Amino acid sequence: MTAANRSPWQRLLKIPTAVLGLAVIAAICLVALLSAFGVELTPFAYDQTSSDYLAAPSWLHPMGTDELGRDLLARIIYGARLSIAIGLTTALTAFLIGSVYGAIAGFSSPKVDALMMRGVDIAYSLPDLLVMILIGVVMGRGTFGILIALGLVSWMGTARLVRSQFLTLKNEEFIEAAYAQGQSNLNVILKHLLPNALGPIIVALTFTVPSAILSESTLSFIGLGLSPPACSWGTLASDGWRSLRAHPHLIFFPSLFIFITVLSFNFLGDGLRDALDPRTRLGKGK
Amino acid sequence: MFSLIIRRILMSIPVLLIVASLTFALVRIVPGGPFDSEKSLPPEIVANLNAKYHLDKPVHEQYFLYIGRLCRGDLGVSYKYVNRTVNDILFDAFPVSCQLGIVALGLAVIFGVPLGAIAALNRGKRQDVLAMFLSTMGVSLPGFVIGAVLIYVFAIKLRILPVGLWESPWHVILPAVTLAFSPGAYLARLTRASVLEVVEKDWVRTARSKGLSEEKTIVRHILRNSLMPVVTVLGPLTAIVITGSFVVEYIFAIPGMGRFFITAVMNRDYDLILGTTMVFAVLLIVANMFVDIVYQWLDPRLRME
Repeated sequence: MTAANRSPWQRLLKIPTAVLGLAVIAAICLVALLSAFGVELTPFAYDQTSSDYLAAPSWLHPMGTDELGRDLLARIIYGARLSIAIGLTTALTAFLIGSVYGAIAGFSSPKVDALMMRGVDIAYSLPDLLVMILIGVVMGRGTFGILIALGLVSWMGTARLVRSQFLTLKNEEFIEAAYAQGQSNLNVILKHLLPNALGPIIVALTFTVPSAILSESTLSFIGLGLSPPACSWGTLASDGWRSLRAHPHLIFFPSLFIFITVLSFNFLGDGLRDALDPRTRLGKGK
Repeated sequence: MFSLIIRRILMSIPVLLIVASLTFALVRIVPGGPFDSEKSLPPEIVANLNAKYHLDKPVHEQYFLYIGRLCRGDLGVSYKYVNRTVNDILFDAFPVSCQLGIVALGLAVIFGVPLGAIAALNRGKRQDVLAMFLSTMGVSLPGFVIGAVLIYVFAIKLRILPVGLWESPWHVILPAVTLAFSPGAYLARLTRASVLEVVEKDWVRTARSKGLSEEKTIVRHILRNSLMPVVTVLGPLTAIVITGSFVVEYIFAIPGMGRFFITAVMNRDYDLILGTTMVFAVLLIVANMFVDIVYQWLDPRLRME
């Protein structure tokens, strides 16, 4: 059996970095979920203070404690909920806005389409962080405000993708057949076009999650994102930054988790892209 | 060529107007003004301050006043840095950010482009996997983590480079390296994709089949042709560097535009927010315009039109 004959899923499982990424993501999501359902994974609660403050990593506190004596591991597990949730919600928002916008553009007259895509081009060329900071000025710096800002800067890639997929697929015979059966536009889009365009969309969304996690942590780090008592990996790293000189573990561990998670999503995204399109593979020869 | 430049400049005016209007609207919707601080000022003083800065006028009047001033190149006054106009502040901050950005972009090109080319020319081999692993690391590491690690190692532990500020050439090294990671990784990926595409072209096969040495084929036919897309990403690269500068200038306490933008947002310093955003917008437009012009110049097929 040659590589091209296998299903995308089988091909994905042949890429070591993608499997590693998938495993790490699954583990982190599992921990975040368990914590969200109230399972206590550490002997300390995330907000439990103690007199043992700014302790270096030890058996009792594997990642040390912060300036209020709170266990850093417990806080990182708690922060995982918010960071992962922000990443996934942004991907979902990008998918919803992007596919509606892209579908409308792909189905409209060439003039409307050109105008809509010109708008996307301009929005796409602006630095995300700049736009997010400006939106944050209006929306406030709570979780909701951050989610709106992230959603508003993340959908353009999906919109472009959905549009181009629709433009190519629109003239295929199976679409003609669906219309011949008397199916409505909406039905054709939802039942025939979207499922067939799903592969590249999933790849794009897999890259949206890590970039959302990065944007949120960066915003929180420079003090324009979430602020305490909200607890994400970004706010934890921001807290740790202030004591970099004396207590580097406080910034090291949150950063490590951001890095591992983002890297895993990027590996998975690369793997998915290669699995869905064998031509781009890192494989041997041509 | 000349008419192209003129046309692009004229086309950028409505875009700038839209950016100015949108930013103005965004900033003015916000609850709270620049003079709401923790220690509340007496109401008479607030009223006087508002009157001085025309904040007591209806919003549409403020808008026309603002656009009018913009057209004369006057970006207004900072509410927080007393007695300094936004023009003054940006006049000092722009060169700082510019130097930092150019050094970082230079580093990104010096490291990113060869990395991508080596990866593509050794496709599937160890060098390729390693290069792509490095570039994936580059995009996965947040700027503040790179900066924190560099500061910890080189400034705190080894004490060979300064922790921050912007004084001597030594102060440029750590921030520029931090800022270079993300565009470097982007360039490496782009170069790899571009070289892989060119390698498959007919002219490369022709070059090989006429007995040209491998080195000459690579330098004259593959690299030269695959660098074209790399030249044209100056627009996105400028955007990446601007984004990075927010973090890097914050971490290293560099008095550049990114840092002033962030403090302006924190202080609700309206005119400074608007002014910095306008400068960023102009920068992006100029970068994209430059790309269009270089593209025409590089590709004779486009020059004909």
